Amino acid sequence: MEEHNYDTDATWKEVLLTDEGKVYIGVYVALMVLAASKFILFEAGIGYWGLFTGLMVMAAAKTALIVAYFQHLRWEPRILTYLYATSLFAVLLLMAAASYSIT
Amino acid sequence: MTETADSTDAHGSGGDDHGDDHDHLPGKYTVKRWLVTTNHKDIGILYILTSLFFFVFGGVLALLIRMQLWTPGEGLLSGFAYGQSVTAHGLLMVFFFLSPVAVGLANYIVPLQIGADDLAFPRLNALSYWLYLAAGGLFAVSFFQGGSFEGGWTLYAPLSVPTFTPEVGATSVMLALGMFVISVTLGSVNFLTTIHTMKADGMGLWNMPMFTWTVLLTIWMMLFAFAALLAAVYLLAADRIIASQYFLAEEGGSLLWGHLFWFFGHPEVYIVFFPALGVMLETFQTFSGRRLVGRKWVIIAMVLIAVQSFLVWMHHMFLTTINLEIKTIMMATTIAISLPFDLLVFAMIYTLVKGKVRFNTPFLFNLGALVLFIIGGITGVFLGAIVLDYEFRGTYWVVAHFHYVMVAGATALFGGLYYWYPKITGRMYDEFLGRLHFILYFIGFNAVYFSQFAVWEMPRRVFEYSTGLTLWNQIGTVGGFVLGASMFIMFYNFAKSLKTGPQVDGNPWKYSRTAEWSIPSPPPLENWTGVPSYESGKLEYVDRSPDGGHEEAHADHASIWPVLIAASTFVFFLGLSGISDVGPTGFEGVNTGYAAITGLGALALLGSAAGLGNERFLAPEQPYGMKWPFDGIEKTKLGTWFFLYSDVVVFGAVISAFIFIRIHMGWGEYETVGPNSMSGLLPEAMALPGLINTFVLVTSSFTIILALVFAKHQHKKGMLASMTATWVLGLTFMVVKYFEWAEKFDAGQGPSYAIEYSVYFVTTGLHGVHVVLGLLVLAFLIFKGYTGSYMKDHRAIENFGLYWHFVDIVWVFLFPLFYLL
Repeated sequence: MEEHNYDTDATWKEVLLTDEGKVYIGVYVALMVLAASKFILFEAGIGYWGLFTGLMVMAAAKTALIVAYFQHLRWEPRILTYLYATSLFAVLLLMAAASYSIT
Repeated sequence: MTETADSTDAHGSGGDDHGDDHDHLPGKYTVKRWLVTTNHKDIGILYILTSLFFFVFGGVLALLIRMQLWTPGEGLLSGFAYGQSVTAHGLLMVFFFLSPVAVGLANYIVPLQIGADDLAFPRLNALSYWLYLAAGGLFAVSFFQGGSFEGGWTLYAPLSVPTFTPEVGATSVMLALGMFVISVTLGSVNFLTTIHTMKADGMGLWNMPMFTWTVLLTIWMMLFAFAALLAAVYLLAADRIIASQYFLAEEGGSLLWGHLFWFFGHPEVYIVFFPALGVMLETFQTFSGRRLVGRKWVIIAMVLIAVQSFLVWMHHMFLTTINLEIKTIMMATTIAISLPFDLLVFAMIYTLVKGKVRFNTPFLFNLGALVLFIIGGITGVFLGAIVLDYEFRGTYWVVAHFHYVMVAGATALFGGLYYWYPKITGRMYDEFLGRLHFILYFIGFNAVYFSQFAVWEMPRRVFEYSTGLTLWNQIGTVGGFVLGASMFIMFYNFAKSLKTGPQVDGNPWKYSRTAEWSIPSPPPLENWTGVPSYESGKLEYVDRSPDGGHEEAHADHASIWPVLIAASTFVFFLGLSGISDVGPTGFEGVNTGYAAITGLGALALLGSAAGLGNERFLAPEQPYGMKWPFDGIEKTKLGTWFFLYSDVVVFGAVISAFIFIRIHMGWGEYETVGPNSMSGLLPEAMALPGLINTFVLVTSSFTIILALVFAKHQHKKGMLASMTATWVLGLTFMVVKYFEWAEKFDAGQGPSYAIEYSVYFVTTGLHGVHVVLGLLVLAFLIFKGYTGSYMKDHRAIENFGLYWHFVDIVWVFLFPLFYLL
């Protein structure tokens, strides 16, 4: 995240309501809503694989929020994100190829 | 990632630039010096000496094997002793000799080649070394715990589970490997951060010396490959200690081990070979007086090999039940990986053809290595073909092939020891003895390993063979002893030359072209008298500090904590090796003696880790230099990220194991494990504890990011309150988890109850271990924050947050996979 001068005399409330604080509160609310709304999918009657897909998409969305904001990769050099993706790709490759090998 | 948490406001005592005794570092001839040193050159020497010890250890075992094979049938050793010798020989040579000797050279040489003062995290480097030594110690202890492991270095399942190898010593071997992988992971993080951020000005990636290039690629492969091995060893240790059923399971247990092990194991071949390749590339240039032909293409070929190494692993599994389609794909990728190797070989040969070769000892060993590697490579292509492998699999053809590859690597590394001996000691070795060593070595090598091609129909790891093969086996045994004896010429040569060898003033090699030869031999403690720079196109030393002095004059070089942490870890793992009695029916009880050792180790570990965290230590900084593509990323943060990338693979591999078992069983047949008291209700109710924990963990991620915001505003109360909230939430997570697990244990549904339960406990357990480790570190950070830290330097909170958010992300996937679906 970009460096700038922080107000070192700020109160609790002022710190929480800085631009940075507001972004994190927003992300937190979104994460809690996503976590709770998982259960809506159970009532949606979309079948097991529909549910599976929906839950994985939601997990991916939560991950994207955590990575982009809490791990602040949104503001870091892109290489860190690419390497994260590379390590994920490596294990997905292991998972997919090993699973395919027994089909 | 605690290395320099407080480094910016800490410094050691001053001293002159070239003395060896300042900054708390005792003199070279004291024992204390070698216990506390964090200097990369000292650590390099320790690595090299220790790895040579394990080389002798593994070599003696090899000679026992060869003596047994003098005649067919039982002889010197019992079957059990033979199995242990074969297994320990393989594990010690691959893990405890080959890689570490290369890491030793890398430790000494790489910072010198790139113009750095030290590695990025010197204490972490010392810790890597001591953990390696402690892991080797645990391996040695295994022989005295009812016997070591006897199932072969590949640890194939189900031989590796207590039903078939019940010895405590076998568990110690698995744990020793786990410790070794921890050492490797720390080392990988360290080297990656160093090479990517501490190169001199003007030295971009393309300009790096070839040895450094091969080390960089080795370390990248290590970061991902060893993470898969850590996951595999974790599952195996769980099978052996808490009686989970992964590798005994009918749902593809053995096959699962094959996948996890070889996903690591094939890159491991190149991990072992690449530094040796680096030595070959360096020495071929130095001793032919010719720049490497096709340098850029050689680098591209090596990058390709590093990537491709992760795409070929199932060629080790052609004789398993994997389908023909995937075998065919893996055959094609295997043949494809030989293409960039061809380019490398031709580039090396052409460099020699174009140059004027000088046959000094380092060159002889490296030329020999090239010849041996070509033979090893060609015989390996046979094994990459499915149909041929059906015939060759499990025979001495395989043994001969991989010795021609792996020991060719060792040959080049021995050449590297000769090449850099004058740099490390300041004296020249005896050239006659060096050449004599090479001649005997080369004859012995080919006698022992080529004879194995001749007896290719013999099954490996078995000492019975048909009497018609006796002569070839006896040639092999004689060759083995010649090979072993030749090594003592090197040891003698090095020991003698240390005292009487001619002194070397800097550079003894006329055409060497890398930076380590531009400074005195051995180099002074802090390597450089100015700041090295290549900005003008050649190596120069520039003065950039305001007072004209050396920028890093106050860097620290000593810490006692790494050795204490490693010793504590040794005690902890030793305790774990025998803590539980696991029999054919599963978990049978706790061994109180071993439990006490475990507890003692854990306490000592906590104390020594806190000691390290609390120590004021200034690691060298490198504000100048080429850092692309990591410009602008602070080094402890970068190190944390490298660590997290490997952790992605650890968790990913464990989750892959779950997916694999579930698919093998039939996806719908697999019973998702939910809390007992709620079974029969709706799936959403079944998952209540999991859901609660999801909210808890997401909230704790929020509070730790708030702690960072408060720290940036120097709002101490807000920071401490947020950190404490995170800690309480983390503890809540574990309490909920405890009740969830306790309920199952009360119902008699432990890890050995069914494969679903094994998977559930071991996977959520790995996550739980991460939470507990996080809580321990966080407790320490809260204490430090309370006593005044992090108001100006909040990197520790930020880096801890990166870890904690990652643990949160893992739970985001574990919850649906293990509770809902």
